[in-house]
Amino acid sequence: MQSSFLRGAVWLAIYLFFVLAPLLALLLGDLPRSRDFWTEFSAAIGYVGLALMGLQFGLTARFRFVTAPWGEDVIYHFHRNISLVALALVVAHPIIIFIVSPHMTWLLKFWEAPPAARWAAASTYSLIALVVLSLWRVKLRISYEWWHKTHIALALVAVLAGVVHMALWGFYLGDPFKRALWIGLAIFWVALFVYTRVVRPLFVLRKPYTVTEVRRERGASWTLVMKPDRHAGWRFKPGQFAWLSLWGGPFKLTQHPFSFSSSAAARDGTVEITIRELGDHTRRIREVPVGSRMYIDGPYGAFTSGCPSDMHVLIAGGVGITPMMSMLRTLADEGDKRPVVLIYGSADWESVTFREEIEAIKPRLNLKVVYVLSKPEAGWTGETGFVDAGIVQRHIPAPYAEHEYFICGPDVMMEAVEKSLASLGVPQSRYHSERYSFA
Amino acid sequence: MKRLLADRLVLATAVTVLLVSALFAGLRVLGA
Repeated sequence: MQSSFLRGAVWLAIYLFFVLAPLLALLLGDLPRSRDFWTEFSAAIGYVGLALMGLQFGLTARFRFVTAPWGEDVIYHFHRNISLVALALVVAHPIIIFIVSPHMTWLLKFWEAPPAARWAAASTYSLIALVVLSLWRVKLRISYEWWHKTHIALALVAVLAGVVHMALWGFYLGDPFKRALWIGLAIFWVALFVYTRVVRPLFVLRKPYTVTEVRRERGASWTLVMKPDRHAGWRFKPGQFAWLSLWGGPFKLTQHPFSFSSSAAARDGTVEITIRELGDHTRRIREVPVGSRMYIDGPYGAFTSGCPSDMHVLIAGGVGITPMMSMLRTLADEGDKRPVVLIYGSADWESVTFREEIEAIKPRLNLKVVYVLSKPEAGWTGETGFVDAGIVQRHIPAPYAEHEYFICGPDVMMEAVEKSLASLGVPQSRYHSERYSFA
Repeated sequence: MKRLLADRLVLATAVTVLLVSALFAGLRVLGA
């Protein structure tokens, strides 16, 4: 607990430095005449809001030194929530001005306002649209791919328009040093975007994979088996994932995170990714031709086994079995005989993905499997319903707090399981979960 | 747990930036 607090404090300090140092730098050297408190406060939150927006490109740049301590899903969770803080600051910035100086409301007349105000409006409206589309994508029935493309476009417009507004208004940027600092920051933010969308894909382009098999699995799922094409491949840890675009190369704007389902101990660089037909993109997985080239950006993820513990408890729901299979296969290949309990929730017996393979791998592991079916067939004598505290207590030996838990599945399931584990006294440091509902 | 910590970091960021912005404004008004 103490190490988490320290880690959080260090990361917060670093993040706040990049957000606030450029603002405080404006207090150096020659300063323009000061105005009233609220106008100066409004200016300050305007600069800070812009810095928060620009740094969002850094949070989503997939830098491992940023994501490794947290896991990508936590970084995206932070990215999502900090955008609400940025939005509040950016919107409050003009509102405070209009309250303090009501005569300034003429700036809202877009076609009559000076260019600096028009760029501010463009930035603010883009940011509002970006947040609205992100929060209500599903309710607005917007496809993920369309949302993602507009998200990137609106983010670029919001930041660049904000920079132009700042440069044109220039109240604090008369000093060449300060002007250079903030323009340099803007270039840095854009460079982060260029790194993610151009530089990183160039590295991925150098290590392509070839699809050697498209294997049907139970539960409307398909496994892509991919071999490295003229390179040794790279290693990953069980439970990790990669970004993949099933159609299109590494420069494609929209990629999706998929967990590896193969053993991390494979020596020939072969990787397998198992994908369930869940949406517009994944429903076409069966059409991926054998022999096609695939570009994989990975590995990423902090959701990985290998922690020193007496027992692994893997709790999976639906396609959440994918990273668990990687863990099981890896443990088997490594001859790890520590007890493993797999609690696997599925709709019915026929849709239990990897059912046969799980049974086949049992002799190689100290593995106990508990299937939990929400719609069991007649005659089913196993567990029914959904994974809850009762199922955990019946199938996992005490002391519960000593084991290491990995949870992956639908959000509803994960929240219920986490509450169950908490009610059994399992400390939060002992269970790990990963969520990928971005919008 | 990490998500909970991330939420707290968001809150801490929001509070800190507001306080520092107020400090900025105060210093300006006081003639720094």
